[in-house]
Amino acid sequence: MSLLKPFSKLPGLNSANILLVESKEEFQQSLADALVQETSFTVNVRLAKSLPLPMENEESRPRIDLVVFIIDLTSGLSFQSTEASLKCLDPGYFLGKVCFMVINARNAAAPIERLDAVRKLAASLHCPLLFTEDQTPDGVTNATERLLTILKVAAGFVPMATALYLSNLTRSTVSSDIDQPSFD
Amino acid sequence: MRQTGLGPAATDRHRHCCVMDPSDNAGSRQPTVEAVALSYGPAPDGSTGQKDAQPADMLRIKQQMSNQCFEMAVQLQSGKSKRSCSTSEAGRELSEYVNELDRVKTIHFISTLTLHRMQMWHAIGEKLKQNDSEALALKAENDRCMNLCSQIKQLQQESRVFQDEITELQKKRLEMKRLTHEKMKEMDELTSKAGHPDTEKYKAVLERGQANLEKYKKMTVMTQNVLRGILLACKVNWMDDPKLRDIAMTLEEFSISD
Repeated sequence: MSLLKPFSKLPGLNSANILLVESKEEFQQSLADALVQETSFTVNVRLAKSLPLPMENEESRPRIDLVVFIIDLTSGLSFQSTEASLKCLDPGYFLGKVCFMVINARNAAAPIERLDAVRKLAASLHCPLLFTEDQTPDGVTNATERLLTILKVAAGFVPMATALYLSNLTRSTVSSDIDQPSFD
Repeated sequence: MRQTGLGPAATDRHRHCCVMDPSDNAGSRQPTVEAVALSYGPAPDGSTGQKDAQPADMLRIKQQMSNQCFEMAVQLQSGKSKRSCSTSEAGRELSEYVNELDRVKTIHFISTLTLHRMQMWHAIGEKLKQNDSEALALKAENDRCMNLCSQIKQLQQESRVFQDEITELQKKRLEMKRLTHEKMKEMDELTSKAGHPDTEKYKAVLERGQANLEKYKKMTVMTQNVLRGILLACKVNWMDDPKLRDIAMTLEEFSISD
């Protein structure tokens, strides 16, 4: 099984590579279009449905600076696919180079247990958890900005800050009463 | 598999590209492996713009590379010293390290500020040495600042003196209050006790005297009654005789008490 390793290749000059993993492949596209608008450095966006990535692209693929897992709370397949993909990621990525992005959290069809499960997953892996809105252009812009902030640190563009340091500041935590039954 | 190759190996740094990877999902069929490549043309600045921006870009790229090398060095080092410890211990140590990191960053920031201050003062000093119009203005400002500072110091000194005096007065007032209070207490004690032992003796003597007075009064009244009785019984004409008249007049001075 091929693991995606963070340091197996040389970094690109003045560029950052981001991998968006989403099982539905809807939000990826609009997010990717917004991400490439960044002008101060080159942003290479790679899209995938799930991990592991195929071996054919192994040579031409550049080093990935940030892996973003997009989870749709209204579909259970999304979460399961993400969990399965996590196993194909080298542990070195979890020191600040992985980010979870949740969409459709406000939807009434999203069960609360799935949200709790996602939060526990992010907290156990010490990764930041972002909630975004994918339907409006404002939501996409907002998500892009936040991802770019993390990407800049992961690719080394921010002096005096590394991905590991940022992850310590932004990692999601789960309060101890998350196992308590909710009010309804 | 179609893939438009526009990698970062191109020299034009304004090109962005977006490439899609096929996933190895055994369950579903993924027939299409589309590769979408968006690219933008070269910068409108042309070569001159690039040359001007190049040193800043070089610095930025150098910074980026040093960051990346630092991360890789950290990974290598963590791989070397592997020791096993429990998760809770690691969590505690992590919070300690983060605190330490924050502390060091604060110290670094303060040192940077100090360095900037020193640089600024050095620049001001150099400017003053040059002795041109701006330096004269700087000197005038500096003199004004010095005057204001010495005024401030003087006023602070005066206010301190006044404060001391106020404190002294307050102490004295407190002392006076205390003394007054004590004196009032003493006076209260004295007035309550003052006549006590004398009045007791005096009362006894007074009572005895009054008792004697009553006794002698009674005796006098009785003898007067007896004398009146004798005068009446003897049917003596006391009005004509002046001696008898005087005696009879004095008989009625005392009231007849029972």
